[in-house]
Amino acid sequence: MKGKLEPSERERLVEEGKSLKESLVSMEEDLVKLKDELQHVAQSIPNMTHPDVPVGGEDSSAIRKEVGCPREFHFQIKDHLQLGKDLDLIDFDSAAEVSGSKFFYLKNEAVLLEMALLNWTLSQVMKKGYTPLTTPEIVRSSIVEKCGFQPRGDNTQVYSIDGTDQCLIGTAEIPLGGIHMDSILLESALPLKYIAFSHCFRTEAGAAGAATKGLYRVHQFSKAEMFVICRPEDSEFFHHELIQIEEDLFTSLGLHFKTLDMATADLGAPAYRKFDIEAWMPGFGRFGEISSASNCTDYQSRRLGIRYRPSEPLQTGPKKGKANLPATKFVHTLNATACAVPRMMVCLLENNQQEDGSVVIPEPLRPFMGGIELIKPKLK
Amino acid sequence: MSLHKLRLAAAVPLTISTFSSRLFLKPFPNTLTLGLFSRRLQQHKPLLVRAFSASATVQDIPATQTTVSSVARPQWKASIDFKWIRDNKEAVEINIKNRNSNANLDVVLELYENMVNLQKEVERLREERNNVAKKMKGKLEPSERERLVEEGKSLKESLVSMEEDLVKLKDELQHVAQSIPNMTHPDVPVGGEDSSAIRKEVGCPREFHFQIKDHLQLGKDLDLIDFDSAAEVSGSKFFYLKNEAVLLEMALLNWTLSQVMKKGYTPLTTPEIVRSSIVEKCGFQPRGDNTQVYSIDGTDQCLIGTAEIPLGGIHMDSILLESALPLKYIAFSHCFRTEAGAAGAATKGLYRVHQFSKAEMFVICRPEDSEFFHHELIQIEEDLFTSLGLHFKTLDMATADLGAPAYRKFDIEAWMPGFGRFGEISSASNCTDYQSRRLGIRYRPSEPLQTGPKKGKANLPATKFVHTLNATACAVPRMMVCLLENNQQEDGSVVIPEPLRPFMGGIELIKPKLK
Repeated sequence: MKGKLEPSERERLVEEGKSLKESLVSMEEDLVKLKDELQHVAQSIPNMTHPDVPVGGEDSSAIRKEVGCPREFHFQIKDHLQLGKDLDLIDFDSAAEVSGSKFFYLKNEAVLLEMALLNWTLSQVMKKGYTPLTTPEIVRSSIVEKCGFQPRGDNTQVYSIDGTDQCLIGTAEIPLGGIHMDSILLESALPLKYIAFSHCFRTEAGAAGAATKGLYRVHQFSKAEMFVICRPEDSEFFHHELIQIEEDLFTSLGLHFKTLDMATADLGAPAYRKFDIEAWMPGFGRFGEISSASNCTDYQSRRLGIRYRPSEPLQTGPKKGKANLPATKFVHTLNATACAVPRMMVCLLENNQQEDGSVVIPEPLRPFMGGIELIKPKLK
Repeated sequence: MSLHKLRLAAAVPLTISTFSSRLFLKPFPNTLTLGLFSRRLQQHKPLLVRAFSASATVQDIPATQTTVSSVARPQWKASIDFKWIRDNKEAVEINIKNRNSNANLDVVLELYENMVNLQKEVERLREERNNVAKKMKGKLEPSERERLVEEGKSLKESLVSMEEDLVKLKDELQHVAQSIPNMTHPDVPVGGEDSSAIRKEVGCPREFHFQIKDHLQLGKDLDLIDFDSAAEVSGSKFFYLKNEAVLLEMALLNWTLSQVMKKGYTPLTTPEIVRSSIVEKCGFQPRGDNTQVYSIDGTDQCLIGTAEIPLGGIHMDSILLESALPLKYIAFSHCFRTEAGAAGAATKGLYRVHQFSKAEMFVICRPEDSEFFHHELIQIEEDLFTSLGLHFKTLDMATADLGAPAYRKFDIEAWMPGFGRFGEISSASNCTDYQSRRLGIRYRPSEPLQTGPKKGKANLPATKFVHTLNATACAVPRMMVCLLENNQQEDGSVVIPEPLRPFMGGIELIKPKLK
């Protein structure tokens, strides 16, 4: 229409322009809706799976490693709830009145034990180059979703705050994933390795039965979580580093446990591969999960928008012209439990009990508890 | 008796002190108290007294001209000593005025009188009905029997109606009476925050010979605190601690725990989600407009703003043995506060945040011992802060600055050079029986020794309400403000106070990191 035109031709072109414009507006609206719809359904496509992961349900999970063996007791053992009562360490009854079921107070040496576990875990993991952090425990619900959780489902594990778009975190993985969201990191900054402490809150909706007794399943607990952000080619290496750290920690504490390579039906949507550690809990008479280490590859980073810019490769050819930055790539993220306090407490109390009702403190923890070696029954 | 018109209490405006009048040269407003956040916000809905029907057959009950109340039944009852309030009403009224409280004593006393009278009527009617029933057992003329049956029916109807009225009256009484604040210790200065008295001053402001930084700048330069990422992830007033700051938080909590345990306090960790009724019984307002309390969607639960709440709840609805007292706890928890209504410079950085770690001391004791323990608590706090090298002053808070539960409150304000003024780092309150009457915490005094004739059937002594006290041992973010700002050096590093070093793996200094 910029050129010289006959009036009739100009009019024809104007009509054509209008018609095109209307079609465009309508189509662009459709495109937006379609993109939204696509996004909505596609978000639920789970991550791909590592080729070595066993296919099947939980019975198909493979044992990677087994450490120790169940202790032989020559007396009638107590479970952690009984020990907690007898040694005045755990109070579920008052908490049921104050807060509801699955809440508890820790008392006396149990408080020292929690602090020793967290302090010791921190010092051990820091030695491997992990940066300590504490995190917010209230986050925007969008962050929860971007990490692959469902804050608003019927059986959601997530507590929401009244009158806001905020939720309580169920794990520090969430605020950790959020730290670098919508960012482009330098390749030289990677890997980023964090160990974060937080309280975690879970509704445990839908969980019932014996697998909920005592400290095994609670609404609020302290946890130390490891989180790694790295280049794609390094995530397998760090998955093995994380599981090694966990195995070293639990071995040092004298636990009997097995490391499982979780089968496909037991991976959460974000996990490319997941190693769970289950420890022997004599009071329950079976193994219980005490940690989980997931390689989420780029599932979370594509949702959180965490990219990195690869460093410039060295060029020996002709002088570089105007610098073209290499294209950004999505990082890989991994997360792993360093210490979930209540489950560790179940293990330590039940495994380390003695006939006289006392509980032995594992050696590595004693310096962090003012040297206490034993939790003794209190005189009444 | 003539018809009585109960005074309608008008809707009262919130008595929140705003921060706009408190500019930089004055100490921080004492509403920013750690222990008593929304107690001052005694917001009341327009108080319309309930109607209760004046029964036609009973002439001498004072009926009140009223309209239907907008108030729901209270879910719990405080054991308020109405007789004592009535017998000491001048003192109670003066106390209410001194505290700038919205409580309406006249309404309470009227309702109480009405309640007492109605109670008497109900009892009188019951007795009459019993007499009628007795008479009906004997030999009677048919006409007389019929008359008695009629009388019995009529009495029963009146009773049912009156008993309903009595319930409503008791609920109403409970509702208005719950807002009467605690009495006040005679030594407490009367007035607003400028009247608070300085009990003690320790140390003096450090002289700096270089340009100092505030804690936010130090936090950035030393890579210790991240507010920016937290603003994206959670919102303003949230933060991540990093590196040595994490070690410092843990050292503060570990050291505080070990120091306070030496004084015979039992360590605890507590739930951070509690039923909202517990929050109310401790004297807080979970559902007001400017509430400090976060509520959980779809439940009657809230997040705690202080461990005082789950601590008060441990022994609720209990009778303790006198020999079990005193109970002394030091509890760790995370605390969550909406900080609704707080704005301006008094909110910078770590000074005012939505989530923080705190170690709280809580004492349950006999009434005659609470003053002693109040002094023990403040002494513990002063010793802790002196050991850390802080410059601070201990204030005896004036009447208008006491929360409703506190009989007496000592606040400690420490020097924060980055702000250029003092900021509250702890609060120690003696709540006497205010909380225990709401939480239902009683004790049974031990039997006195009797040397006279052999005791007959044991009559247990009557139970009494305990006294409760609470005091901040360590509020981590404010301690961090103090330590970072006071201990900074010219080269940008920060010195760790000696007592904390063993709890931080021996680190003496937080040094700038090479980039």
